[in-house]
Amino acid sequence: MEGNRENVQIIEKRPGMKKKEKTDKKRSLEDEQEDQLIDFNKKPVNKDEDDEDLSDSEDSIYSGLEDSGSDSEEDEEEGSDDDGGDVDDNAEDQSLEAEVKKIEEEEEESEEKEVKREDEYQHDSSDEEDIRNTVGNIPMEWYKDFPHIGYDLDGKKIYKPIRNKDELDEFLDKMENPDYWRTVHDKMTASDIVLSDEQVDLVNRLQRGQFGDVNFNEYEPTVEFFSKDVMIHPVTNRPAHKRSFIPSLTEKEKVSKLVHAIKMGWIKPRRVEDDSKGRYYDLWASEDSSISAKHKMHLPAPKIPLPGHEESYNPPPEYLFTEEEQSLWDQQDPIDRKLTFIPKKFDSLRQVPAFSRFIHERFERCLDLYLCPRQRKMRVNVNAEDLIPKLPKPKDLQPFPTTQSLVYRGHSGLVRSISVSPSGQWLASGSDDGSVRLWEVCTSRCMKTIQVGGSVKSIAWNPNSSVCLLAVAVNSEVLILSPALADRQVVSSSERLLAAPQEEGPSEESDTAVWSEAEGEELNQGIRLKIQHPKPVHQVTWHAKGNYLASVMPDHSSHLQVFVHQVSRRRSQNPFRKSKGLVQCVSFHPIRPYFFVATQRSVRIYNLVKQEMTKKLQANSKWISSIAIHSGGDHVICGSYDCRLSWFDLDLSTKPYKMLRHHKKAVRSVAYHKGYPLFASASDDGSVIVCHGTVYNDLLQNPLIVPVKVLRGHAITHNLGVLDVTFHPTQPWVFSSGADATIRLFT
Amino acid sequence: MSQLQARFFTEDKRYEVDDVPFSIPAASEVQDLSNIINKLLEAKHASHTKVEFDFLVKGQFLRTSLSCHIEAEGISVEDVVEIEYVERITAPEPQECITHDDWISSVHADAEWILTGCYDKTAKIWSVEGKPVMTMAGHSDVVKDVAWVKRDGLTSLLLTASLDQTVLLWEWNSERNKVKARHCCRGHTGSVDTISTDPTGSKFCSGSWDKMLKIWSAVPTDEADEVEEPADRPRKKQKTQQLGLTRTPLMTLSGHNEAVSSVLWCNSEEVCSASWDHTIRVWDVETGAMKTTLTGSKVFNCVSYSPLCRWLASGSTDRHIRLWDPRTKGTTALKVHPTFCLDRFSSYNNFFLSLYLPCVLVRRSSGAAVSDLAHWLEPNLLCVCVFQLILSGGADNRLYTYRYSSCQTDAGA
Repeated sequence: MEGNRENVQIIEKRPGMKKKEKTDKKRSLEDEQEDQLIDFNKKPVNKDEDDEDLSDSEDSIYSGLEDSGSDSEEDEEEGSDDDGGDVDDNAEDQSLEAEVKKIEEEEEESEEKEVKREDEYQHDSSDEEDIRNTVGNIPMEWYKDFPHIGYDLDGKKIYKPIRNKDELDEFLDKMENPDYWRTVHDKMTASDIVLSDEQVDLVNRLQRGQFGDVNFNEYEPTVEFFSKDVMIHPVTNRPAHKRSFIPSLTEKEKVSKLVHAIKMGWIKPRRVEDDSKGRYYDLWASEDSSISAKHKMHLPAPKIPLPGHEESYNPPPEYLFTEEEQSLWDQQDPIDRKLTFIPKKFDSLRQVPAFSRFIHERFERCLDLYLCPRQRKMRVNVNAEDLIPKLPKPKDLQPFPTTQSLVYRGHSGLVRSISVSPSGQWLASGSDDGSVRLWEVCTSRCMKTIQVGGSVKSIAWNPNSSVCLLAVAVNSEVLILSPALADRQVVSSSERLLAAPQEEGPSEESDTAVWSEAEGEELNQGIRLKIQHPKPVHQVTWHAKGNYLASVMPDHSSHLQVFVHQVSRRRSQNPFRKSKGLVQCVSFHPIRPYFFVATQRSVRIYNLVKQEMTKKLQANSKWISSIAIHSGGDHVICGSYDCRLSWFDLDLSTKPYKMLRHHKKAVRSVAYHKGYPLFASASDDGSVIVCHGTVYNDLLQNPLIVPVKVLRGHAITHNLGVLDVTFHPTQPWVFSSGADATIRLFT
Repeated sequence: MSQLQARFFTEDKRYEVDDVPFSIPAASEVQDLSNIINKLLEAKHASHTKVEFDFLVKGQFLRTSLSCHIEAEGISVEDVVEIEYVERITAPEPQECITHDDWISSVHADAEWILTGCYDKTAKIWSVEGKPVMTMAGHSDVVKDVAWVKRDGLTSLLLTASLDQTVLLWEWNSERNKVKARHCCRGHTGSVDTISTDPTGSKFCSGSWDKMLKIWSAVPTDEADEVEEPADRPRKKQKTQQLGLTRTPLMTLSGHNEAVSSVLWCNSEEVCSASWDHTIRVWDVETGAMKTTLTGSKVFNCVSYSPLCRWLASGSTDRHIRLWDPRTKGTTALKVHPTFCLDRFSSYNNFFLSLYLPCVLVRRSSGAAVSDLAHWLEPNLLCVCVFQLILSGGADNRLYTYRYSSCQTDAGA
């Protein structure tokens, strides 16, 4: 680039140098023709005719010489006359001079361009200044007092032209000479130069700040010298530098580093794009998949519904509104309308008018986008079924009673209590009709009926299998029956148990129980002993060994609510001195010497050996109806009149581990199975619910308590449903007795 | 649906027809189908005489029109319907109704006489026509089971088992109509619920609530066995009351954990017992060892044996009759009983009876019900017996007899 410019300059300078040589030759010619200077001045017009540009430059050169002479004179005169004006004039003159010089230079340049175009040697006559005065560039005032103004090339004095102009001449000249205003004094040559029209014009242009050359176009279109286009030829013809052929050491270092990195695997070569894959993509794929892969929370904007047939300019006739539809559309609220517009038919597309609702539609779309939720709400989708605790299938928990198998009919009153013999062969039931019946379990045959003369509140079979005895609570008596439905040896051993002599009680209080032997007809029926209580007895229960018997006489005020009888010694005692509430039922612990007493709200557990209370279970219910103790003795279930069944783990807590609220009405009775993990509850709603209750040896595992079956069969009579429930001792069968005077067996 | 495609097949070789699908009217009933088969057979053999057939679609007897049946059973009519046909067993016809004084606990019939056990502590002999012949009172408690042992001309030996823990062996002379208790079999400590005599009539087996099976000799002798009485003999008085000579068991088979509910002799060496401990056990009588144990999941109330197919059938409280093959232990065929309770049944030829609360059901060996015999009064049946007559008795104090026409085939085996 630079080289190029340099070339240009070189080219520019060359003609200039030639010109100097020419001027030198010319000077020798012109030296002697000083006088002709003015003529020269006037010539340019003629010369202009053949070559304007050239004459211009020459003109200026010579005029400059003339000017300098005349100028100095003027200066002298003016300086004496008026200082301020002189200064002004000087300034003007100087500025003019400077401008003239500029012009000259510019003209030189422009001329040089011209020269370039034409034959360089045609006008060998110098375009340089005619330097006749060679004093150099000094203030010409120094020659003010001399007759000469300088020296020529040969060292001879150049004399000032004889000027005889005074103020008056000057004035006259000013008045008469029309070219006076364009006359300039040249101090160097001490001559006056009259500027030509072109020169004046040039001066004016320069004063206005314009380019000297009229033809110069300052807004010429730029020529893109360097462009993006690759050219076949170099812009410059400068040969490439030697340096460019020698490999750079730094580059070599860089390359070797990269090679090493590639070898070591630090840089992976750029993967070659597989065109076949990237070039084509599924245009119709929903944008979801691609975007949502990157942005998990991306929510695409709702899409505009696609136009349907009704939006066509020529919809099928079924889309056009009938009159009713039209009227309906008119009547409807804009929100309720199915369509936001009325389908219209046009003969041709060209007749379709402008869409008037455009802005409205855009606005609605914007609203849609704006109101569209931009946040993905992580709604917890919980399947309702998952919230239900995982329970094992009842099928896996078999065996348990499922269907009603037998109905034991015979009683005429509601059957309050039932009990199964320890062998499982016989069933005893006590009813309000004043009878105790003994049934064969497997055939539902009533084997014996014993009239006891009062409604039977409770009946209990002696759990000891070596004796065969029944305890029956009738009114305020507890009867001990020997039903003689067993092996002779068993019968005889039970007779022996009852035959033991009565011990004389130490106290003869009025509120103790009185033992007496049955006689006559009652003896024939099987009644052996009677224990007369001071108050009506509601419940009897045996100890597991079969020697002790507990009876309950609920009474709010008295401490005398429970009696414990020893059958072999015919002895009774009241274990409690204080009343702790209305006793509902009592039970013996099957293994350990504990005694459970259920009052209305809680169950107290007494240690019979230490004679103290060991635990008090809070049943969380209002009125306990019954309790049952697991044969292992660790678990207690408690039924209550407020429809609940609470399950206690005695080792765990005094609060119920589980409350079961499956019954609709009061729970009347609860029972545990001796062998299977089953318990049942009977309720006034006529149903028996059998539950599976497993307790694992692993203490970390929670007990599994699952209701497995609802057994129905009993008819509800007088708002009473099932009154008692008990399990078969060996089979997973459950017996229930109801207010409908039947007993039912579910197997 | 006016026509449907059906293919007929039978297991009876005599009545086979070509295995070709027929298009038959959907509304056709049993009689129409029977006519079709008869026509086909006539075309095949000129000598064919008309036989009435019964039809089974997917193991269920056809009782209504074919279209109704198919609709009720949900059988696809797109495919060819497979219809099995068997020679018709005509429904047993009710014959007599013998009224007892109390519940009938058991019944056993032979060719001439019917023996029933009753809850009034007696056993009774009736003629087949329903006339009372003899009443045997000797037990001190309910008679639970009865069995004929042997007939020797005019004298018959029979057994009665009772809740009073004894089995009495009686000798009855039908001509003089005199009965005598020959032996009182003592040894059980629970009620004797079931007895069964061996095929030769020389021994019998009893099952009791005390979980024991005992094998006794059924041959009457004139000598009383020695009874090891307990040291303190409580009652001398009772011994004088005892009928017959005391007999002690030949063998005691113990192994059941619960009461034995039913025993039977499968053949001369084997005794089969069903118990409440959910097992059926097969015992070898010679050695007294247990041969096989079949374990179920519910209490077994009764067991029965078909000498033809050598299968055991058991009835249990879960309303199922299960068929067991004792030779391959554990193989069970399960048949659903429609409604049930405690049930007992007898097998005879290729059909058996099952007894449940309101009726006796006559079934084929495959389990399909042939017909049911309804009892209308007290719905509690306790016993059933098949021997030329079908007999059933229960808590309504009545013994019903039904006559059935024995089918000509024994194809069940």
